[in-house]
Amino acid sequence: MKFRREGSLLVLVVLLSLLAMLFDSSFVPDNALDILINGIPTMIIACGVMLVIVTGEIDISVGSLLGLLAAMLGLLSSTVSPGLSVHPYLAILIVLTVGTLIGLGTGCLVVFGKVPSIIATLGLLIALDGVQDWLMGGGDIKHFPQQLRNLGTGTRIPVNLIIAVLVVIGTGLLCRKMAMGRRIYAVGSNPSAARVAGISEAKIKLFVFALTGLLTALAAILWVAKLGNVSTSTGAGLELKVVTCVVVGGVAIRGGRGHLLGVVLAVILITMIRTVLNFMDLGSEAVKWQRAIEGVMILVAVTSDHFTQQQQTGGSA
Amino acid sequence: MKKFAYEFVLLGLIGVVLASAAILDPLFLSQNVQLELSSEIWELGLLTLGMTLIIITAGIDLSVGSAMGLCSVSLGLCMHANLPAWLCGLVCLLTGLAAGAINGTLVAFIKVHPLLVTLATYGMYRGFAEGLQSATTNAPVDASDGIKSIVTGGFPVIPVLFTALAVWTAILLRRTAAGRGLYAIGHNEEAARFSGIPVARLKFLIYTYTGLLAALAAICYSARRSATAEAGMVLELDVISAVVVGGTSIYGGRGRLIGTLLGVLLIHETRQFVDWYWQRSELTLIVIGTLLILAVLGHRFLFSRNPQTQ
Repeated sequence: MKFRREGSLLVLVVLLSLLAMLFDSSFVPDNALDILINGIPTMIIACGVMLVIVTGEIDISVGSLLGLLAAMLGLLSSTVSPGLSVHPYLAILIVLTVGTLIGLGTGCLVVFGKVPSIIATLGLLIALDGVQDWLMGGGDIKHFPQQLRNLGTGTRIPVNLIIAVLVVIGTGLLCRKMAMGRRIYAVGSNPSAARVAGISEAKIKLFVFALTGLLTALAAILWVAKLGNVSTSTGAGLELKVVTCVVVGGVAIRGGRGHLLGVVLAVILITMIRTVLNFMDLGSEAVKWQRAIEGVMILVAVTSDHFTQQQQTGGSA
Repeated sequence: MKKFAYEFVLLGLIGVVLASAAILDPLFLSQNVQLELSSEIWELGLLTLGMTLIIITAGIDLSVGSAMGLCSVSLGLCMHANLPAWLCGLVCLLTGLAAGAINGTLVAFIKVHPLLVTLATYGMYRGFAEGLQSATTNAPVDASDGIKSIVTGGFPVIPVLFTALAVWTAILLRRTAAGRGLYAIGHNEEAARFSGIPVARLKFLIYTYTGLLAALAAICYSARRSATAEAGMVLELDVISAVVVGGTSIYGGRGRLIGTLLGVLLIHETRQFVDWYWQRSELTLIVIGTLLILAVLGHRFLFSRNPQTQ
């Protein structure tokens, strides 16, 4: 029963597709690619946040960080003032570096400053949002060079989807096949045993936070490339969506347990819910209840999960 | 005196903020301006009373702002239907009670991690608020005269109510078995259960109490502005910040209400002054976020000899 969670998520995805197919038989072929593409930023960031949660920490600053990095990329590469018209590849490199450094900084606060990660990243969530607003000075940023836009609106091949798939495969290999992945799980499931086994908790945690920063930067680049627009609200609320996907995907919030496959399915499921609700056209009233329906579904997912877990472990929480 | 060392540090910081205000713009400290700006502090203050109890048990409630939005909409619907003020208030309080009780049931009896429960209800309550509002009035409802008079009437109902609740909560924490039980749960829940503390019941009650406080905050907000699904948006960040800046440990088991109240005052005065003097909302965000991280760092380096690991 190792993949019990993944199985039930898959059943939900299939059920939801069938439900949508009832309304229009061409729903899946028409929208499958769109759903996958819409889920790309969440998916990429969820890979990093999942590893952070596996080590027993949490990162809720990713939404603000994505906004800040998108604004930075906008200012660097936009061809119209206040943009600096820096060469897009150089801008991308700078954004990736800054993202990694901010992630590393978060890791330092948690590891060396011993600030609880939820507080450190809550502080960053607030502060980075401020920095984003300050950088943008109120107006939207538009007009990006074509080389950058091609990453998101690739004419025939969806480059962004390929990048996301590569990130998922890379993270999967890291978790399953590399020593680093084993260490990440070891730190999360039993810190003192990991310490005795000679694993440096500090290094592992710095690594996962830096990786999350890097992946958030990547997501920001693809976000800008796809939409061609950065506003002050870019990225707002994304952290909750990412954490929700990771948790619905079966990663234990206390660390040490969880599979990437579950997270991938959860991202697909949660991205699908909105598309399907839109698509079923339940009348203008239903649209207004979307967020409520999503909330109820997430609550059910989180709670039902707990019942199944209790059965498995014989009732102890 | 040593026991309250951190509280003196907070007082000092508040002093620094007020002193810099006095130097940069003395007008900020005048009675009228302070009274004008103080209207928002009551909502923040009310919510932190419950949040302190929750964080002391090593829990968290991310849904307080959303619950406030839902309460505000329920109040708006009643006012829209021209119900008498007391009935509107009652419906609003019951909504808050229900929202808190849902969180409490899931956390205490079904034993789901509070971060997960309230992350889900955070979206759910706001979603219901938005759905209800757009399905009925489709616009914010102006406060009826009955509700408005609570805030603008001659007698300061809200400050008095807040003070009473704060004193009650402080006594509960320090002088009752239930209060000591909350600290025990935060230190070691398993041990608390074995020593006969009604863990589930206490947890249920504090989440429900917080829901009730969210309803009170919603009444303040709606009377001050209007009843809308927007009420309490992102307020949860300020609430958690104020409690943590006030010296309550996010790992549970440590914290005092007086610290929280000073945290509220510090966050409030800092925010209002930065907003007032520089008129730049982004600067306020940067200052508050940095303050939160520095406060926790400072507390750790100054006061904890053997830092508590997870």
